[in-house]
Amino acid sequence: MIILDFERIWPSVPYILKGVQVTLTYTSVSLCLGFVWGALLALCKVGNISALRWFAGFYTSVFRGTPLLLQLTLIYFAIPQLTGYIISVWEAGVLTFTLNSGAYVSEIIRGGINAVDKGQREAALSLGVSYSSMMKDIVLPQAIRNILPSLVNEAVDLLKESSLISVIGGADILRRANIVALEKYLYFEPLLVAGFLYYILVMVLTIAAHFLEKKLKTS
Amino acid sequence: MIRLEQIHKSFDSQEVLKGISGQISQGEVLAIIGPSGSGKSTLLRSINLLERPTSGKVYIDGACINEGKVDIGKIRTKVGMVFQQFNLFPHMTTLENVIYAPLKVKKMPRKEAEILGKALLKKVGLGDKLKTYPPHLSGGQKQRAAIARALAMEPEAILFDEPTSSLDPEMVKEVLNVMKGLAHTGMTMVIVTHEMGFAREVADRVWFLDEGLLIEDSLSQAFFASPQTKRAREFLEKVL
Repeated sequence: MIILDFERIWPSVPYILKGVQVTLTYTSVSLCLGFVWGALLALCKVGNISALRWFAGFYTSVFRGTPLLLQLTLIYFAIPQLTGYIISVWEAGVLTFTLNSGAYVSEIIRGGINAVDKGQREAALSLGVSYSSMMKDIVLPQAIRNILPSLVNEAVDLLKESSLISVIGGADILRRANIVALEKYLYFEPLLVAGFLYYILVMVLTIAAHFLEKKLKTS
Repeated sequence: MIRLEQIHKSFDSQEVLKGISGQISQGEVLAIIGPSGSGKSTLLRSINLLERPTSGKVYIDGACINEGKVDIGKIRTKVGMVFQQFNLFPHMTTLENVIYAPLKVKKMPRKEAEILGKALLKKVGLGDKLKTYPPHLSGGQKQRAAIARALAMEPEAILFDEPTSSLDPEMVKEVLNVMKGLAHTGMTMVIVTHEMGFAREVADRVWFLDEGLLIEDSLSQAFFASPQTKRAREFLEKVL
């Protein structure tokens, strides 16, 4: 028979809850930076400069072709060894998640750009509009509207994957749940709390995205 | 004002234009006609370099635009274009569509651009659709808005790529009427079209293309009265 003993971990719940802010900070900062980086990579991929196209393609294949945990630990441990700079957990986490998310986002945006009708570019170019203005004002706004659902998926993935930060000592939801577990010799309950928190966060994100999507559709 | 010299264009191994030369004068209305696949649209799109000719030269106002260092953006502000699929920007209102390029390319003050945009949209009969988004316009309205958008850059010439081919029959006329009005203002117009009645009525001159060659270059009246080539005669018999 399974007996859940939430009473013993109840005093520790606020401690785990504090991890929500940590998780959200890692996720949101990395997501924003990753979006900018991904947009730049996507522009490289659809552009005419073959060196940049090659670089962006190779970059993406590396970051999608290796485990995120490997990238995280590599950056956390290798950077001090190579450069002498002692990188903090926060820096290593944001850097890794940004670089990794950028690879995925660049593929999403590239797909979105290619899905915008070719006639849109031709119309802009035929008016004498420059390539950069055309991308910024005509192509990207339409591309981003189309790829919003995929971007939310990426945000959800990142939110969950940010739990890897606990491996190098980041005090996020999962790490805190594990600390509580070790203190109380009670594993099931704190992990259940952590799982519940992640689930709520993901649901809130999904519902918010749903509303945003609806609003964009009507405008 | 537009001169073409031995324009060739190949896509992969297929040669679509096989050396076309010709001239379009200021204020002239030229209809480019011919069977499907004869290279009409490709030729038109070579004039503003949406397609780059494989070889040959395009001159606008006496200057070659497809060789050496040319600010192609600047040339394109002189030669507007209207597309078969309209290609309005769906995320901008009709008015924003029209004033976007004047604001962005000509750096026109917003107030001035809006006055111009409203006047142009009124001229094409869309004075009450300024704030409407293109998806809520009918085909004919879209194309008229697209003409206003091209006019907003005050071009010297406008290229029309089958402007009525994707319209419902009852909307063809409203677009042709706007174009007719434009022709009367002395605008230089190059029109790829299947509307033979319109070409006969409005065009000054006709180019008849077949299999990538310009096989007849005649005054419109003469062409429709008695085409010089057998191929053109057969074509007219089929479509008229």
